Amino acid sequence: MADERVEARAPLLPSIPSGDQTVWADASSLIAAACNDLQDGELVHGENFSLFAAMSALEIMDPKMDAGMENNGYRSVEEAIENGAAPLPLSSDSTVDVQCLIDIIDHLVACEATWHKGHSLAQTVFSCIYLLRIERTSAHVLLHSYCRIIRATCNAVISAVSDARTHEEEDLFTMAFGLPLKGEGDEKCLSILNSVEETISRQLRACKALSYKKKVLEDVEPLQANADLEEGYCRALLCRLRFRKHFYHVLTCMRKSQGRGLELARKHIALCLSELSSIIKSQEFLRSNVCRSYQDDVEESTTSSGCKPVGFDASLNSRFSAPTPPRAIRILSWKKAIEYFEKLLHDLDVICCFSLESILENVLHFVVQFQDSQPDLVARAHMQLLLVQDGKLYGRDFFYDVISKAIALPEFARDIEFQKNEFVVQLIQLVVNLLKILCTNAAWQRRKLGKILQDWSLFSIQLELALKREFGDMLKPLVDENVCMKVSKHLLTWAEEQTYWIAARFLMLGFKLELYSPNEYCMVYWYMYIILMKLLEKIQLRLSSKGDYRRKGKKKRDVSKDLTRDVLVSSPSILLLQCYISLSEGLAMMLAALRNESKVFEMPNVFNSEQERFIQHFELLQKAHVPDHISYYLFKESTIHASIPIVVKHNYFREAQRISTSLRGSFSGDPGRMQELRRIDQVSEHNRIALNVINKVSAHDPSLSVTFEFTHHPFFAVAVVKRS
Amino acid sequence: MEGQGRDGGAAEAAVFSPSEIEYVSYGGEHHLKLIMDLVDDELSEPYSIFTYRYFVYLWPNLSFLAFHKGKCVGTVVCKMGEHRHTYRGYIAMLVVIKPYRGRGIATELVTRSIRVMMESGCEEVTLEAEVTNKGALALYGRLGFIRAKRLFRYYLNGVDAFRLKLLFSRPDPLLTMNSNESHDPLDHP
Repeated sequence: MADERVEARAPLLPSIPSGDQTVWADASSLIAAACNDLQDGELVHGENFSLFAAMSALEIMDPKMDAGMENNGYRSVEEAIENGAAPLPLSSDSTVDVQCLIDIIDHLVACEATWHKGHSLAQTVFSCIYLLRIERTSAHVLLHSYCRIIRATCNAVISAVSDARTHEEEDLFTMAFGLPLKGEGDEKCLSILNSVEETISRQLRACKALSYKKKVLEDVEPLQANADLEEGYCRALLCRLRFRKHFYHVLTCMRKSQGRGLELARKHIALCLSELSSIIKSQEFLRSNVCRSYQDDVEESTTSSGCKPVGFDASLNSRFSAPTPPRAIRILSWKKAIEYFEKLLHDLDVICCFSLESILENVLHFVVQFQDSQPDLVARAHMQLLLVQDGKLYGRDFFYDVISKAIALPEFARDIEFQKNEFVVQLIQLVVNLLKILCTNAAWQRRKLGKILQDWSLFSIQLELALKREFGDMLKPLVDENVCMKVSKHLLTWAEEQTYWIAARFLMLGFKLELYSPNEYCMVYWYMYIILMKLLEKIQLRLSSKGDYRRKGKKKRDVSKDLTRDVLVSSPSILLLQCYISLSEGLAMMLAALRNESKVFEMPNVFNSEQERFIQHFELLQKAHVPDHISYYLFKESTIHASIPIVVKHNYFREAQRISTSLRGSFSGDPGRMQELRRIDQVSEHNRIALNVINKVSAHDPSLSVTFEFTHHPFFAVAVVKRS
Repeated sequence: MEGQGRDGGAAEAAVFSPSEIEYVSYGGEHHLKLIMDLVDDELSEPYSIFTYRYFVYLWPNLSFLAFHKGKCVGTVVCKMGEHRHTYRGYIAMLVVIKPYRGRGIATELVTRSIRVMMESGCEEVTLEAEVTNKGALALYGRLGFIRAKRLFRYYLNGVDAFRLKLLFSRPDPLLTMNSNESHDPLDHP
């Protein structure tokens, strides 16, 4: 690299002291001299400038890297405006003016959806020149009101997402430097919009009255000049404006504290959806009255009319899209954008429907079910904002109350000392953190869950140690030692239960994210089986000790024991868990048997073996001792003798099917869980049949091919047997 | 970093015998342009010449080129170093031009790099690949890589990536210890 070293030959100026005496000198000749010496691709090495640092260099005038490069476009918004890129009025022909306005509105919706889906605000919504210079539009009342509501909506969405902080890997979303996002008077955007809406409503009424040859009561100036098209354009505009209004209401209602605005938000969501369907219906009319140039591909068009919108230039503020290199963004089609908003509204509606109950188990189940439909960032942010507000559940329930309820702590023990207890304080933090993590995208969520397993496990270890040391000290002010001991034990059992719940979710998310390859399924199901068994054990322990406080001092112990047993046997959540256990065990053993007998799903051994893959996949669980004493050797030991006839004999899948059938009654009022039962039933049925087929043919048969697919359940695979 | 050449396009397959492919370790500046041209053509991420220099100057022994009758048809560019208390190899770019794909050239290139990493004391090797790049995922799966993480919208085109990891086998002290020890009779199948 010595040949690369370039020494500046011009005499160096003495270093200039900073401060008041700072003098600027012309360094052009020095730089020019240095430049003349440098060949293309060479660089000046310095002590603090390494080859690694050089990688961050941007090559000026390389279109892939130089965001500031002139691209034959306009150099500034002003230049673009001067050159007529964003005319005002949009056209001198009033009909064309309305057509252009609708195209702008549609394209903005497409931009907004593209932004929500993960692109920068600068290159999507703020590629709109009218929005960049909103004051210019004040004479065009319609356009002006629309720009204002869009800007206010962007602000509302950004504030929800940044308040929720669910966006760790999606931080491009809230990046808005250099954009004119804050403007005076945006709080009035709704009243401006309302008055515009009122005007168009009157215009619509007027033109309808005309068509019925009725006398027009008031003197209303029409929206545009062509009387035949008046009604169509009025309607097309009205539904678009009303959608914006209701959408803005949805966003503000959902931010009301303690979920107080959720009911009203639902009404606005319903109105939004109905306006969206009117917008879709307006497409036919808009398409049939086009007089300008179509976009290249009408189906992929960003407007309902299929026309190119005026007033957009994504390259204008590509300089604001830093720190990423410039990248051409493909704006979603108008159709896809409408679909996006429909999905967003449905996801928000799910949140609004939630009963805000304070039983943590149900809250966790609700969030997990919500995530099943793969909601995007904006919906997830609102979910999180609802769950954790001001350090309270829904901003309403103190978390120590939620935890007390979860561990069935009697009222008399819930005193101020309990709330201040260091373990309770720690546990609250863990629970809040867990809830927030469950609202993030699946990829990020899994990584975070893997990390917090350490925290939960550390908590349990510390609590256990304290319990062993002197349980009396830690919850001393509680009523009596016996109760202290019990409270601590319950805290411990409950924390361990949550730890296994997190571990199970961690493993299951791996399927959703496609992190396992078929030859790893066996070890994953085996580990899942272990985790679910431990989870079951902890839940049973918790339920069986529920009567502890009550039982104390009572003689009829046997009666309460019977009651407990009933709870344990019939609890639907326990039975559902047992289904999962049977499926995991069945799949693990089936896969092991296939590998043992027919050599399918064998691992390649070029640079490592199955053991390394086991270590890597379960590293985080092992580090957190979830659970202790689990090793690759144990996995090998318990699967090495698996054979198809033995697996058939065990009837794992029939067992899962039996339980799921028996659960139908308990879950009949819960469509989500009913669907889950159907999925379990299908997975069990398919695998049971597949096992029998393999058993009949014999797994050794070389013409037999078995693959596993996730056609019926997101994380329980179904065996597909084929014979060649 | 982006970097694992993608399948795609129906390019006419070249006719050749695997023995005609010559594999060469990075040999100096004359190879740099060949690597750059290949990667620039095949991958969308923008790399400046300094990115290439960083890799090939510091770890020339980890970069390989594949030639067919004097024409460069594939290349692999890597690095290695300390990463959170482990010594780790990293595969930055792997490209084989379309007519030469599916014949084991990429596997051979990357295997050579990984072997050097292993011999140099690396404990593991990592890389990122697009979740949609089935060819690369299968290739690395065959070599023993697992999908350790999914990286949400990792690439500028909005596609997720998998972080792939290969942990090298090493003599396990637990192996000898555990074999004499009876296991906790935990509930297990």
